[in-house]
Amino acid sequence: MKGLLREHKVYGTVEKDGFPAFAEIFEVDDLKLSETPTHLSAKEFLFPQREVLLKFNMRTSTHVPVIEAEKQVLIGLHPCDIKGMGLMDRVFSHGVSDPNYLARREQTIVVGTDCVPDEYCFCSSLGTDKVEDGFDIFLHRISRGFLVRTSTDRGAELLSRLADSREPTVRELKELEERGAQRERAFKAKINGAPEDLPAIYAKSDESPVWEKIGAICYGCGACNNVCPTCYCFDVKDEVRPNLVEGERVRTWDGCTLEDFAKVAGEHNFRKSRAERLRHRFNRKFRYLAGTFDSLFCVGCGRCSRTCLVKINIVDVTNELIRESHRR
Amino acid sequence: MDSPYLPFLGMVERSMRLSEKERFFAVVPSSEALLAYRPGQFFMVGLPGYGEAPISITSAPGDTRIELCVRAVGNLTNALHKLRKGDRMWLRGPFGRGFATNEMEGRDIVFVAGGIGIVPMRSLVKAVLAERERFGRLTLIYGARTPEEMLFTEEMDNWRRRGLDVQLTVDKAEARWKGNTGVVTTLIPKVSIKEKETLGVIIGPPVMYRFVILSLKALGLGAEDIYMSLERRMKCGVGKCGHCQINSVYVCQCGPVFKLSELGGLPEAI
Repeated sequence: MKGLLREHKVYGTVEKDGFPAFAEIFEVDDLKLSETPTHLSAKEFLFPQREVLLKFNMRTSTHVPVIEAEKQVLIGLHPCDIKGMGLMDRVFSHGVSDPNYLARREQTIVVGTDCVPDEYCFCSSLGTDKVEDGFDIFLHRISRGFLVRTSTDRGAELLSRLADSREPTVRELKELEERGAQRERAFKAKINGAPEDLPAIYAKSDESPVWEKIGAICYGCGACNNVCPTCYCFDVKDEVRPNLVEGERVRTWDGCTLEDFAKVAGEHNFRKSRAERLRHRFNRKFRYLAGTFDSLFCVGCGRCSRTCLVKINIVDVTNELIRESHRR
Repeated sequence: MDSPYLPFLGMVERSMRLSEKERFFAVVPSSEALLAYRPGQFFMVGLPGYGEAPISITSAPGDTRIELCVRAVGNLTNALHKLRKGDRMWLRGPFGRGFATNEMEGRDIVFVAGGIGIVPMRSLVKAVLAERERFGRLTLIYGARTPEEMLFTEEMDNWRRRGLDVQLTVDKAEARWKGNTGVVTTLIPKVSIKEKETLGVIIGPPVMYRFVILSLKALGLGAEDIYMSLERRMKCGVGKCGHCQINSVYVCQCGPVFKLSELGGLPEAI
């Protein structure tokens, strides 16, 4: 850990106001590996909430592209976070690739750690509760230290250089297995259907009363978009410096649950009601992007349900749609 | 890696007022690649400090200038209206899927444009008229709110001479208006068409589509025979930002031009 801190900018989980959160780690003791999810995902370290795409000069009418990336280590990502990052990697390299994201990703070392579900976690329902790749190093907590896996050469090199390690004993492996079984029993939230059936279930749900029901209570605050590890929509704006000459074209997170998101000229809004906007968001997670990426875009972290001010719960909504599909 | 967000320079060669709100620009692009566009495609047009917006191309492929028409509605478009000959504007694109004119060959075409839908429609009309002999009967139905808001009318006699039947209508007439009054759908039933030989093309404000589609269907056109360009507010143009998404498709990648038959699974399209 000390070695890592010497060589890289390190971000990891800390305790902030009694909650687990990601923050920059300056000393070894700052890091508090959290077993329950952070409220915000780790996406901000690869896709920052505000990011400069270009610098411009209004007097000369010129632009320079900006691609900012520095070596960084992210510590404490749970399997769902790592799966979410893998989906973001695919989005930003699909079609026209996004150099801002990809350059930062290239420079990022990911250290995963295992977790214990809270009442909102449902990754086991989606098969995103375990990871084989997408990280450099993965730490499994046992009673005395950690069992460590690496999935990249970069991870193996770091481990051999910066840590003392040995082969695990049979007893240690047994403990890991027991902890895994215990974790599986701990899941409270469950989707009552197979993940591969969800796109079809959502495809039949456009007219479901569920959307009006949750649309009636939604505040349209966009918190679910903000905390989601796979929400990647953005807005692009020019910010002019006080000298009124220079400035930056920036992208900032945006959310499809916000009222203006689908507005076009003449104030026409293609998703005027909150019900329609929520339906769009849920469909993006379980249906729309599945066609392009052959994967659901929900990793079961439960962050949207955890953070929702009016307790709209992604598992309850999905289960209700599954129930409706059985009734039909 | 090159940034897809870095725009290319365009020099304004001509800047001309078309109406109270619309201004026309002929732009010389700094890169030849920008001239490889199809009717129906668009550019992200920007000015440093004011941002970018998707703007339809109004010139036809093969032109050595990019012609754009901008309606002043916000900060960027008002700033664009101040540009004069020799000024710079910035372009990214061309983006999207345009009209495949080769698919339209041999057919009669009814073009239906509403408001500034005439801007991208002009690109298609010019492309079709450039190869007039490859197409059958051509009709343009164009509606605007008032006679003053009608664009490109001075070009239309030329279009007529080249074999395009131009029918104009306005929502609100005034004394010297001699043409039709009423929405575009009042003119559609008057077009005589040969079933299975005619294509319809619709470009206009969102409110127009449902009614025009009904009118074209009443003439006997099928979902395979109706093309349209759909408006969305793009922010990136490269299929990432999400603003132009219609259900599962990104308009900046799969559109803005669609056939009606392609919109089956896209209830949010119109």
